[in-house]
Amino acid sequence: MTRADRILVLLIVCTLPFLYVHYWFGNESANFVLIQSGRSDPVTETLQPNRRLHIAGPLGESVIEIRDGRTRFVSSPCKSQVCVHSGWLSSTGGFIACLPNRISLTLADQHARFDAINF
Amino acid sequence: MTAYFIRTAALLLALAAGGCGQHKGEVFHDQFFAFGTLVDVSLYGVEPRLAESTCRKIEMDFMEMHASWHAWQPGPLATLNGRLANLEPATIEASLLPLLKEANRLSRLSTGLFNPVIGNLIALWGFHGNALPIGTLPDRAAIRELVAQAPSVENVTIRDSIITSDNPSVAYDLGGFAKGYAIDRAIERLRESGIQNAIVNAGGDLRAIGQHGERPWRIGIRHPRETGIIASLEISGDTSVFTSGDYERFFEVEGRRYHHIIDPRTGYPADNTASVTVIHSDAATADAAATALFVAGPAEWLSTAHNMGIRYVMLIDTHGTIHMNPAMQSRIHFEPGIDANISLSAPLQ
Repeated sequence: MTRADRILVLLIVCTLPFLYVHYWFGNESANFVLIQSGRSDPVTETLQPNRRLHIAGPLGESVIEIRDGRTRFVSSPCKSQVCVHSGWLSSTGGFIACLPNRISLTLADQHARFDAINF
Repeated sequence: MTAYFIRTAALLLALAAGGCGQHKGEVFHDQFFAFGTLVDVSLYGVEPRLAESTCRKIEMDFMEMHASWHAWQPGPLATLNGRLANLEPATIEASLLPLLKEANRLSRLSTGLFNPVIGNLIALWGFHGNALPIGTLPDRAAIRELVAQAPSVENVTIRDSIITSDNPSVAYDLGGFAKGYAIDRAIERLRESGIQNAIVNAGGDLRAIGQHGERPWRIGIRHPRETGIIASLEISGDTSVFTSGDYERFFEVEGRRYHHIIDPRTGYPADNTASVTVIHSDAATADAAATALFVAGPAEWLSTAHNMGIRYVMLIDTHGTIHMNPAMQSRIHFEPGIDANISLSAPLQ
């Protein structure tokens, strides 16, 4: 075995466990929120780090907060404010929409157990 | 030996890295807004261009149906309601005819607990638009008056494409039914395109055909009082799962919740049920049945399900007791940590 072979074997042996765990067991950074605005493709945002996002809709701007692995509508230019009063989303499959402003939040996981949530 | 090890490790590395990419590519997702909610279409194993073009057709279908079937925005159904209010005969627009006939049939089966002609009551509560009413209750006398007028599908006659009514308070509002009907149409559209494995999910109510590759589709059912999932089930073949809940559309006055599922007998939101989940083959029937069973409540859900030909029901009452029939119990898997207080009924035939 040459020196190059040994380096290659070492590299593979070190990489395999990482890939196995990463793809089959997931990790915290794989949790994400899908933000859909109107007809645009959904935007995927990880739930770390804490931040606020400003998303434009037909009525104006909705503010989405991501904090400690959760997400919520902070404000939205709709009349009823149902989206804001819905509070935090924290579980995979959780869903909130501001229908008047056509923005929805869906919590998902890279290895989600469900194909759809019934509610 | 060394070469063999390197080749094996390299192969494993390729499989580990490549497996996830294939998994991501198996399901095509598309989302759009229609019927005042988010519609999510998941297609398994479909070539992206076919998936995209089929989803656009489904979106157009939904938009057309929403425009034609809206009870309060200008359109065929609003025009029809205007004529019925004056006790004048009306010609039913072609796309509405099968919808109204089916709504009437299901209403009769439910003994009026699913009532598609209480549009005036729905409007009085303010649940007819996309925006929810804020902070005001309807006038009690107005509710009493509408309940006394007792609009029912028995007041309605459809001959060919002409509809007549002998009760001026009859006003169609298909909110408890149209979404299911539209989902059925979307499934037809998918099949026309040769797509056999899909879920059409409109605001949490869904119909699934085929399965997810080698396994069934996995569906989570939302907990009516907490965030997250209360139970799950696996479905394949052709199955609709519909849930009606008091958490979907509501407003609060002085700390009390008033939700959108109105009991036609009282004129007020049905107050003994938190959620009802129904499994059935077609989505339209599941949609109407979920509404009827919600109104029926813990005391009458079993007889109502029997009358409507529903074989799988889970009803969670406002005290948290889970009522279900044995066949439903055999399909439902409660989440770990859920303390399910189950009241098992007699079998549904």
